[in-house]
Formats: sequence, structure tokens, C-alpha cells
Amino acid sequence: MLHCLNTSSNLVGGGNISDMTVLERQRARIKFQNEHQQFSGNGFSSSHQQQFMMLGCDSALGEIVTNSMKPDPDYENGFDEETVKKRKTDNKVDLNSKDKRIKVCVEEGESKIVEQRKGQKNTKFNNGNKNKRENCEDSNSKENSKGSEIQNQKPDYIHVRARRGQATDSHSLAERVRREKISERMKYLQDLVPGCNKIAGKAGMLDEIINYVQSLQRQVEFLSMKLAAVNPRLDFNIDELFAKEVFTQNFPTTGIPSEMTNPAYLQFNSAQQLVSCCGGLINNMGIIPPEIGLCRNINAPTSASLPEIFLDSSIFTHILPSSTWEGNFQNLHNVDFDQARSISFPSQPFTGMVEASNMKMEM
Amino acid sequence: MRNLSSLKKEFLRKWIKGLRKYNSQKKNMNLLERKKAIKLSADLAMASTKDKTTLWRKALFANTSTKIDDEQDMSTTSSTPQKKVIRKNSTNSYPLRKRITGRRKILRRNHTKERVEASFIAMRLVKKRTRKLKSLLPGGKFMDDSCLVDETLDYIESLKAQVEVMRCLVTSSELFINQP
Repeated sequence: MLHCLNTSSNLVGGGNISDMTVLERQRARIKFQNEHQQFSGNGFSSSHQQQFMMLGCDSALGEIVTNSMKPDPDYENGFDEETVKKRKTDNKVDLNSKDKRIKVCVEEGESKIVEQRKGQKNTKFNNGNKNKRENCEDSNSKENSKGSEIQNQKPDYIHVRARRGQATDSHSLAERVRREKISERMKYLQDLVPGCNKIAGKAGMLDEIINYVQSLQRQVEFLSMKLAAVNPRLDFNIDELFAKEVFTQNFPTTGIPSEMTNPAYLQFNSAQQLVSCCGGLINNMGIIPPEIGLCRNINAPTSASLPEIFLDSSIFTHILPSSTWEGNFQNLHNVDFDQARSISFPSQPFTGMVEASNMKMEM
Repeated sequence: MRNLSSLKKEFLRKWIKGLRKYNSQKKNMNLLERKKAIKLSADLAMASTKDKTTLWRKALFANTSTKIDDEQDMSTTSSTPQKKVIRKNSTNSYPLRKRITGRRKILRRNHTKERVEASFIAMRLVKKRTRKLKSLLPGGKFMDDSCLVDETLDYIESLKAQVEVMRCLVTSSELFINQP
């Protein structure tokens, strides 16, 4: 029985080939291979049938595509009905002549579903071909809905429409698609790179991106140098790691929007970092230069919004020796609360920080 | 932005693991060696965090492995410096040739195209910048234009994560040291 059906399908394919285009022939071949793959699975009673219908529909649509340059809707309809009827009789399914058109639409949907299912089932199936087919179907549905619009098609791959005066040969179409894709990606990049929104023009944007990547790479270099300087031996013990995990949890999740939502915490973080920088510097030099710290703070981009008093207090509290560390944290906490009453300060991260310091004190 | 914190954690874990491995191999390193080790392990961790296989990750892996091989060569055999010198000489001679040919090309262009259009200039600017960007990304030589933009997106994202984690580590370790 299997062979019988197989050959019948083959025959049908062969019969169709006489008036098929190359594309359809290719499809029939793919279909044929597909069937072979499916034979090993369950009995192909329903799935086979559906696929078969899909093939018919598919090839019919393919013919429509090839004839799509003719803007006569009547002709298309007639063609549609005719071809579909032919396939239907092959499948021994009766059709009422009234609602052929509707059934075509239904079948189209069905075929798409089958296509998806098939994609999930057959992993061996050639991806490129599948894409081709799906794209083709997409374009077909659009075509059907829009009727007699003048459209330009690259029949195999992607649906492209050329505007008036644009070149229509395949090379320039492909080039246009490529450029559109690139510009779309560039938009994403524009969102990702800060300060890239205002710049129009590709060269400027690329400049900005290059600068950003370079700065990031340099930051990595700098940070690794700093780490190497800070840790005389490369052992980051687990306790420290835990403390750091607290940090990473408390750290605002990188995105600019989140930074915008809690500016107070950002302030704290930047202050913290700067203070630690200053601390390291002071430790190295052995003197206390408050001017340097202030300059650093003012130079930092985020600290423009910080009031002067906060800067002073935080720096001085941190410059004090580490025996009063805990108290300093409290101090800072209080000061910050005073500052941030108007900004609705999130107290959650702060407790986390204090806990971290507690942990370290215990250790 | 969806799972950045988890990404960072993964990165941190892998990084620390790599560092430990490094640390167990060599005991007392000087500052530069330590820095190199830190950077290498961070790069490797960054390249291996996502399971996505992008070009730059592969290139990073390749680069780091060659670097490590070089280092091992340096440590094991004593005759490598001579070889390295030779290599350096050969690499020095190639760019010179390239430069010369480039000049020739430009000259030719100037001869043939007397009238330089604005669009032509813009295109050249863009090309120049693309080349520069390609040189910045690891493995950028093998990317075409559309691929390049994708890779840059991915690369920037993971670089951001890396920088943040490293900064966290720096601040925390400094705190750790400052309060003995």
C-alpha cells in the first residue's frame, strides 16, 4: 500500500510537471523526499493527505506567483479555481462550485499549519528550502489579499517591493534588502550606545560606536590592571565572592532606564566608587588631599546632580580610619536620607550594603 | 536586558573559576602577569557565558588559546625569542607593502576621478570606519557588513556586563582591603 500511494503521488507529481515551473518541480522533489522520510513513522493516512493537499495548494499558488505580474483579478480567480479543482479531484474530494474561493483561503491556512508542524517534526528537512517555501507563502497570502497591486517579486526568497524609479533586477533588489537589514540593526545599535541618538548619518554613528567599544575595552584593561594591583595574590576567596554577590544583586541592572528610575542609588554607587578610588589614592600617598577628591567628584559625569555637602561629608567619613567604618556607614546613610527625602529613596539596597559591610566586619 | 543579572552571575562564576585555575598553575606572578591572567580569564569567561555561537566569541577563544600557547612556549623553550624576532620582522615588512599599494591606489583614483562627489566621500568615510570597527572586534576580519553590525551588538552587550562585574569586584576587593 505504501508503495502504491508513493507511486501515485509520484505520478501526480509527474503529471503536474508538464505544466509546472521549475520552482514547482523542485517543490515536488522536496515533497517526495519528505514522504520518504515520513514513511518510517506512523501510518501516513491523515498527515500524508494533508501534505498532499498542501502540495497541490502550494503549486497552485506558485503558479499564481508566476502570473502575478498580470493585474487582472478575474484571470487570477479563474486560474485559482481551476488549479485547485484539479488537485481536489486528484484527492477525491468534492467541492461545491459556490464556495471554492473561500475554501482556497481555508486551505491556505491549513497548509501553513501543516507546514509548521512539519517543520517541528522533520528535523532532517532542509532549512533553506523550508524558508523559501514559507516566504513564498507569505508573499502569496499578501498577494491574494491585495489583489491587483503592482508588486515586484523576487520569486524565491523574500518579498520586496520596489518603489517607482528603483531598479528591479535581482541584484539591486538583494542589495536593497541587505541595506535595509543593516540599517535596522544600526537602529538597535543606536539604542544601545549612549549618545548615539542625536547623530544622523552612518559615519558619525560608526564613530560613536567605535569610541564606545574602545572605551569599554580600555575600561576592561584598566579594571584588570587595578584588580591585579589590589590583589597581590590571585585568590578571591568565597566569602568575598558572597559579599560581591550581594553587590551584584544590589547593583542596578545596567540598563539606562533602571538608572533613571532610581537616581539616588546611582548617586550612592558613584559616590561609593569615587570614594574607594580616593581611598586607594590616599592610602598610596599617605596624605589627605580633599581637593583632589572634590575634583574627581566634579569631573565624574553623574555627580553633577550631587550637592556639595554630600560630597564633602561622604568623602570625609570615608577618609576616616576603618575602626569607625560602621559608624561611617550609618552616617552616610543618614546624610543620604536627608538628601533624598524628596527623591523617594529606595532603602532596600542600602540595607544590603550595610549588611555586606557587617559581614565583612565579622570576617 | 532580560536576564542580565543572571548573565553577570554566570560570568562571575566562570571568571573566578578560570582565575583559580590560573592561580593554581603559577604561584607568584608580578603585576603585569597578574593583569594578563585576569584579563585573559575575563575574556574567556565572557566568550563562554552565552551559549550563542557568534563569530567574535570563537575568535576570542582562538586568540586566547594562541596566546596561552605562546606563553607556554616562552616558558618551556629558550630558543623561542629568536623565532619571535624573525616573526616580528616578517610581520613588519607586510604592512609596509600594503601601505605602498594603498597609496598607489589612491593616486590612481585621483587621476581617474577628478571630480569627487559628496556621496563618494561619505562612502569612503563609512568604509574607513567599518574597517576600524572590524579591527576592534575580535575576529572582525571574517565578518561581512551585515554580520558585523550583529556581532557588534552582541559584543557591546557582553562588554558592558563584563565591565560592570569587574567594577563590582574592584570596589568590593578594595573595601575588603581597606578594612582589615
